[in-house]
Amino acid sequence: MVSARGQKGAEQPLPVTGDTQSGETEGGSMYALTSLFNASKFSLGQMILYAVLLILLFITFIPILYLIVLALKDNGQIYGRFWSLPNPYRWVNFTLGSLAIWRSILNSILTSGTSTAATVLLASLSGYVFARHRFPGKEVLYTGILALLMIPPILTLIPAYVLILNMGLENTYWALILPWTSGGQVFALLLCRSFFATLPEEFFDAARIDGASEMQSFVRIAVPLSAPILVTVAVVRLVTTYNQFMWPLVVISSPKRQVVAVALTQFTSEIGVTDLGPQMAGYILASVPLIVLFSFGMRHYVRGLTAGGLKA
Amino acid sequence: MSCWRSASSAIRLRPAICSIALAVALLLGLALPLAAQSPDGQLWGQDTANRIQALALTADGGRVVIGSRDNTLRVLDSSGELIWQFEAENSISGVDISPDGQWLAVASEDRFVYLLDGEGNMLWQFKATRPMNNAAVASDGSLVAATSDDLTVYVLDGEGNLVWQEVLGIGVQAVDIYGSGDKARVVVGSSDGLITIYSRTGSALLQAGLDYSVQSVSVTPNGARILAGTEDGSATLLNGANGNEIWRFEAEDTIVGVALAADGSTALVGSEDGSAYLLAGDGTLTHRFRQDDDVLSVALAGDGSRLAIGTIAGAARYYDRSAAVSGAAQSTAQRQRLIFVLVGVFALLILLATWAARNTASGQVIYQRSAAGPIGLLQSMWRARLSYLLILPTLLLLLTFNYYPAFSGLYHAFTKWSPGVSTEWVGLENFRFLMGDRFFLSGFRNAGILVVVSIIKTMTFPLLVAELIFNVRNRFSQYWFRTLFVIPIVLPAVVEILVWNNIYDPAIGLLNESLKLFGLEHLTRVWYGDASVSLGAIIFIGVPWVNAFALLIFYGGLISISNEIIDASLVDGASTWRRFWTIDLPLLMGQIKLLLILNFINAVQTFELVFLTTGGGPGAATYTPALELYYLAMRMDRMGVASAIGMILFLIILAGTIINMRYVRSSTEYEA
Repeated sequence: MVSARGQKGAEQPLPVTGDTQSGETEGGSMYALTSLFNASKFSLGQMILYAVLLILLFITFIPILYLIVLALKDNGQIYGRFWSLPNPYRWVNFTLGSLAIWRSILNSILTSGTSTAATVLLASLSGYVFARHRFPGKEVLYTGILALLMIPPILTLIPAYVLILNMGLENTYWALILPWTSGGQVFALLLCRSFFATLPEEFFDAARIDGASEMQSFVRIAVPLSAPILVTVAVVRLVTTYNQFMWPLVVISSPKRQVVAVALTQFTSEIGVTDLGPQMAGYILASVPLIVLFSFGMRHYVRGLTAGGLKA
Repeated sequence: MSCWRSASSAIRLRPAICSIALAVALLLGLALPLAAQSPDGQLWGQDTANRIQALALTADGGRVVIGSRDNTLRVLDSSGELIWQFEAENSISGVDISPDGQWLAVASEDRFVYLLDGEGNMLWQFKATRPMNNAAVASDGSLVAATSDDLTVYVLDGEGNLVWQEVLGIGVQAVDIYGSGDKARVVVGSSDGLITIYSRTGSALLQAGLDYSVQSVSVTPNGARILAGTEDGSATLLNGANGNEIWRFEAEDTIVGVALAADGSTALVGSEDGSAYLLAGDGTLTHRFRQDDDVLSVALAGDGSRLAIGTIAGAARYYDRSAAVSGAAQSTAQRQRLIFVLVGVFALLILLATWAARNTASGQVIYQRSAAGPIGLLQSMWRARLSYLLILPTLLLLLTFNYYPAFSGLYHAFTKWSPGVSTEWVGLENFRFLMGDRFFLSGFRNAGILVVVSIIKTMTFPLLVAELIFNVRNRFSQYWFRTLFVIPIVLPAVVEILVWNNIYDPAIGLLNESLKLFGLEHLTRVWYGDASVSLGAIIFIGVPWVNAFALLIFYGGLISISNEIIDASLVDGASTWRRFWTIDLPLLMGQIKLLLILNFINAVQTFELVFLTTGGGPGAATYTPALELYYLAMRMDRMGVASAIGMILFLIILAGTIINMRYVRSSTEYEA
């Protein structure tokens, strides 16, 4: 359960992560290389295993390879020589594609980033309060918040849209930032509370004796110690909001404010491109923020999702 | 299923009861007052077999004139009682009544225009060469204007003498008069989009041009404002002094009738889209009166207090404006009601707490501990004010953007909901509608298929690949396989679907090209356009379905199985196959349970996958409930029905979650 037991709750979870492996991997890689060529160790079973995995890997990568190849061709090459590799490579496609979508990528980064920052801030604060403070009505409030895990987004989609209309926020960044900030908090609060609950009471007692105020002990002790869980929350929220499609589709109508997930689907109509190449290049460019994020945050992402359970 | 466990352990009895009470109170508070409301402020309605082609009201709405296709003109009082009626030789095409009700001008397809007095006596009649289509009378009855299908405007004085006539040579059917005596002015709108103001003697004083054929005009008694309805579905308010446009309102279809209150502060616009729109003086919509059929005629009392709407199916309805508007102001009232409800809930909670402190054992303990009872509680609440302050932003956001929409959705599932205009309680009507909606039913079936397929997809290939990688003996290869299989996660979900759209492209897609390459041209087809394969094509997206997330979960589960168990099985000589079934699978039940519920929840709500590929087509072949919800809400403005779909999906997900929690056993609960 999330209420990670033991000292370092956040370090315990799923040893799925690259890190758990990498230590062994580096040590073992020399051995691995030699054993790779050691035919006697290679049983028939292992060869079948490799074959199946490689085939599956190849099929998995077909769309990605197809995407990359198309992104480097022009229409003439695609229609004329479908099966040949790009020749010459049309790098200009990436320039054209980026012209069409750079703005929506920035919109995505802005809205995802802002709402994630706000989520982390609010959830860490309230997580801390729910974990360490005692006040009347605490359990009722906490249960009330957890109950929101039961509410699927499809139920709130239309009423939330009407709410945004009534507030006059449709077609503004706020229409994305506010609901995302709010929605992300449930899961974030869950993680933060259980993590703060594991921090030893002695730290806070010591701080109190040294004359630290409540806020000081939050900022100086709780936050630094809980950095891993806050990063986890941030990564999960960034990926989730970046991938959001239906909500921006509903509340944002102006192409200038649209996020990249929706903008990609309106690619052709928007700049009048009928060339597939720049379009495909745009798809690849839209992945760049996620590539950057996953290159350091993959293990946080997996931990967050498994811990978040329902509300992925 | 971490959070579930924590949730269920956190939900101890008492807080749970409080939360439920809170929810119920909130729901009732929203639902009850609204349910009592009568729709639209309608005072009475009459259904006849003949279309209502003309309507007029006096200044106070005390007389209602209804011109019908059955040649009769009926004058009713404000309660709908017939006062007198008049028969023409052919159907009535237009009427006008002076504000005091003393004069009536009636145009009929029998080619006559009649002037009647307040008791229904005919004063005179005048004949054109073709049927008359509309008529207007000055407030003192001294001037009558009539338009005819012979493309001519006739203007007559109070005795029925022709003052002037103008052959426009183009269709004309919009006419109104303002002023009285010598200052009377005739406003005429014609099919070429021109609106002309004539003096009593027939000289054109002002001309304004609109882009489409003018169907109806209405002018205030002082001539300051002219409202014109045109064929394109827009109603335009013009300044009577200079002909400049003040505002424009767009309906969905041709405007057939317009009416202005005497002070120009209210306007009523009837459209063939089946609605009459009540507009404020600045052109904003205050209420939409939806009718079952095309609206043919509208009328508004001079003081704007009453209005009448006639339809092509023969219904004449009479409304009280303030009741309709108060219905429209419901959304404002609703917000206030929410505040009341919250206050009420708060009071309820205090009552409940008091009750608990008196009547339950644990309550008494708390009661005693908090020393002086309620005062002590308030004291301890005050002492904890910092805590409340810190969680306040979180609570406010959740209440606004999560709690409120959730209850609003559940409530509005039982209403006909036009946000900002009206909310009408319709009981189970929305659900009944859905039971007969083939798109929803098809969507429901597809959602079922997608749920099953999605679960099968997640339980087979990712588990297989995880198990295969786990069994690779070389750590180096193990690492690389795992990393490579996870790489596709960096593509945004939308991009994957869009790339597959290209793969399926009938003209130059990878799939059809590959089939051609292997000489299987007879198998190529328009994958999304063929009802027999379109759903299959959607399901096929992402083959071989090695979902990175599921793979990581399974793989993580496998490597956390302790080496002792596996070694023991090796010592016992168990085959890999045997080990999979007796050790791996039982120990992976926690992971399976997690993926099961996540996939279920996501698959029930499938939207992008069909929206971006087939859009639900061909026909209804690939609809999903979420897609139908989107279309109903965003394209057909049927928010109530859409909310009903939301509610159904919510209940399904809730049921699935509970079943999964209860009946899917796992030896080890999932730890995260």
